[in-house]
Amino acid sequence: MTVATALSPAVTGSPAGGPARRRRVLRWLLPMAPALVLLALFLAGPILWSVYIAFTNETLTGSASVHSQFVGFDNFTRMFADPNFVNSFLLTFVFVIGSAVIGQNTLGLIIALLQRGRGRVTRSVVNGVVIGAWVMPEIVAAACWFSFLAEDGTLNRVLGISQEWLYTAPMLAVILANVWRGTAFSMLVYSAALSEVPPDLVEAAAVDGASPARRLLHITLPLIRRSIMSNLMLITLQTLASFGLIYALTGGGPGTASQTTPLYMYEQAFRYFEIGYGSAIALVMLVIGALFSLIYLRLIKVEDA
Amino acid sequence: MKRSLAGSLLVLTALTAAGCGSGGTTQEASGGAKELEVLYKVEPTWPHLENMLKNAKKQYESAHPGVTIKLTAVQGNNEAYYTKLALLNRSPDSAPDVYLHDTFQVNADVAAGKLAPLDEYLATWPDWGTQYPDNVKQAARGIDGKIYGVPISTDTRGLWYHKDVFAKAGLPVPWEPKTWNDVLTAARTIKQKVPDAVPFSMYSTKIHGEAATMQGFEMLLYGTPGGTLYDDAQKKWVAGGKNFTDALTFINTVYREELGPKQADAHNAKLADKVNLEWFPAGKIGISLDGAWTAAAWKPTSTKPWPAWQEKVGWTAMPTQNGEAPGSVSMSGGWVMAMSSYTKLKKEAFDFIAVATNKENSLMYSVSTGDLAPRKDVAADPKYTADNPSVKFFTDLAEVTHYRPAYEAYPKVSAQVQEAMEAVTTGSRTPEEAAAAYAKALPAAVGGPDKVLAR
Repeated sequence: MTVATALSPAVTGSPAGGPARRRRVLRWLLPMAPALVLLALFLAGPILWSVYIAFTNETLTGSASVHSQFVGFDNFTRMFADPNFVNSFLLTFVFVIGSAVIGQNTLGLIIALLQRGRGRVTRSVVNGVVIGAWVMPEIVAAACWFSFLAEDGTLNRVLGISQEWLYTAPMLAVILANVWRGTAFSMLVYSAALSEVPPDLVEAAAVDGASPARRLLHITLPLIRRSIMSNLMLITLQTLASFGLIYALTGGGPGTASQTTPLYMYEQAFRYFEIGYGSAIALVMLVIGALFSLIYLRLIKVEDA
Repeated sequence: MKRSLAGSLLVLTALTAAGCGSGGTTQEASGGAKELEVLYKVEPTWPHLENMLKNAKKQYESAHPGVTIKLTAVQGNNEAYYTKLALLNRSPDSAPDVYLHDTFQVNADVAAGKLAPLDEYLATWPDWGTQYPDNVKQAARGIDGKIYGVPISTDTRGLWYHKDVFAKAGLPVPWEPKTWNDVLTAARTIKQKVPDAVPFSMYSTKIHGEAATMQGFEMLLYGTPGGTLYDDAQKKWVAGGKNFTDALTFINTVYREELGPKQADAHNAKLADKVNLEWFPAGKIGISLDGAWTAAAWKPTSTKPWPAWQEKVGWTAMPTQNGEAPGSVSMSGGWVMAMSSYTKLKKEAFDFIAVATNKENSLMYSVSTGDLAPRKDVAADPKYTADNPSVKFFTDLAEVTHYRPAYEAYPKVSAQVQEAMEAVTTGSRTPEEAAAAYAKALPAAVGGPDKVLAR
């Protein structure tokens, strides 16, 4: 917000300072004011509050819910010494890499590539199906996957076996479900990016005798690299915070076998009522998300240089 | 574009503000008329409390013109209810005036000053003196000695078994196990002879929350010699020890020998419905360690009545570890109607509690839920025992029953117990490792190593 405020005169390109400039700022700021107030109140407010309580022993019930104390970095030292947190952190990593970076990203790109130059009917059918999975509410998607993977579910019926997938391979199950649900986003991003690739460039390469694989590797991918990075950043952040799908599918179980950090955070904050500790975990998640974004942004810059 | 966005946000703000305004002051809603908000829980298979409260609302409103009762239901299991209640109780504006409360949560809320003591009102209510036995009155007693809730139910726990499955397995009916080993032996026999039945079911995972701690773990721990979570003499929480490990070993045996429900079912939030509404009627379960209320699932008031249960199902006490005196063990808890310390209508709120727990409503509740009645007049009513031959047995278990150390730290201790149980259920830890992890986590849960007694 502050960045935007500082930049606005430069953006509007006003050479004159003084009252004219101020009026310009006002004209821009006035209609935005309600939105800014709302943002400050309902976005910045809770964020600041949760940062504060991450350093207290605040709970939802008991005496600490009314007389919480500042405990410094206790919540953080406790977190890093907690094997369940470390476990959840590793699972989150597996989940993000498996379902977002590899799954959604690659599958989205492949579908987008395959759709190039296909007929309108094929495209709309494929798009419809893929986007259908995406617009479906998270809980509905989870219910579908639950009935697909359950012991007397569709998969076992088709394969003719009896296997409790959600308990024998919970991480695989949630990763597959998330790939299924989230691929549409990557597909749309890549479809848009691919339509910007000049066809004559690709054709020229084909005339020069470049194989399809080489054309993809040396022409198409470098041209859409910025979209790849932006897409990776967005889906990483989305997946990092993913909660509903896993919660409804496995509840983080069995045991802690699919308890990613958001689920661990929920359990601590709302099952065991340790809202202070939960907020501390949220804060660490925020930092990790920020780190991921920085890496991606950095990569985009490096590519540009 | 920006302008229209800002405009719509403005409208939104106005709406939100209006919404907050009307939501915040439920007590003075609609032009000075008084309103009491009552919070309770409801599940598709458990409509009993809702029916009882609707009845109470009718009675109360006709006797107290000018006061409306607003019934707010929380959909979900106990764990969902605890969370919702704790969140609503965060602010005086959102806190309900009267609410259903699990007795083990009471002291945590007393410590936070969120509950109102009822003593001065109870003194004016004749039923309290005449109808409630002294031990029942203690159900919601704070550490300060004051009473913070009127009991609507109490309970005991024991073993339910399927007579047909026992007959098929060649086990004696009536069944009277004397030791843990008798229970395990029976389960092993069922596994061998009746392979399509789950031999033994108990709650042992985090998803079942307090039910796992109480119906599962404590039924074992308090049946070991000197087994307890809290040492009353030294006022300290007991860190593991042999009793603790033995109880976990029992659970470990159940799951490692595959005598229990499959892992998927053990982790299913709806395990109770599966056991009672599916497996028992289908003859697919041998033994179930559960509460006195279990029979409610089969009664005509249930969503899936099973009239044959009286011939098909037997019940018996959970034995102590090696048959130590008094031979059997049980745990008791229960629910109370409590009053928020934030309510401005204390007199009205108590009057509603008194109506909700009067004889008629208590009877209606106890008959449909199968919970043991806290009131003497209800317990003596023929309707109470009429349709449920198990009631007398479970009422008599009061002689061997134990109460939870429901102090402020208890919910956190309970969470640690569930952690240990789940670890042996899945097999991720041995009983010894799980007990050691419990001992390690205990000081943080109870507020310091000085409150822990090493074993």
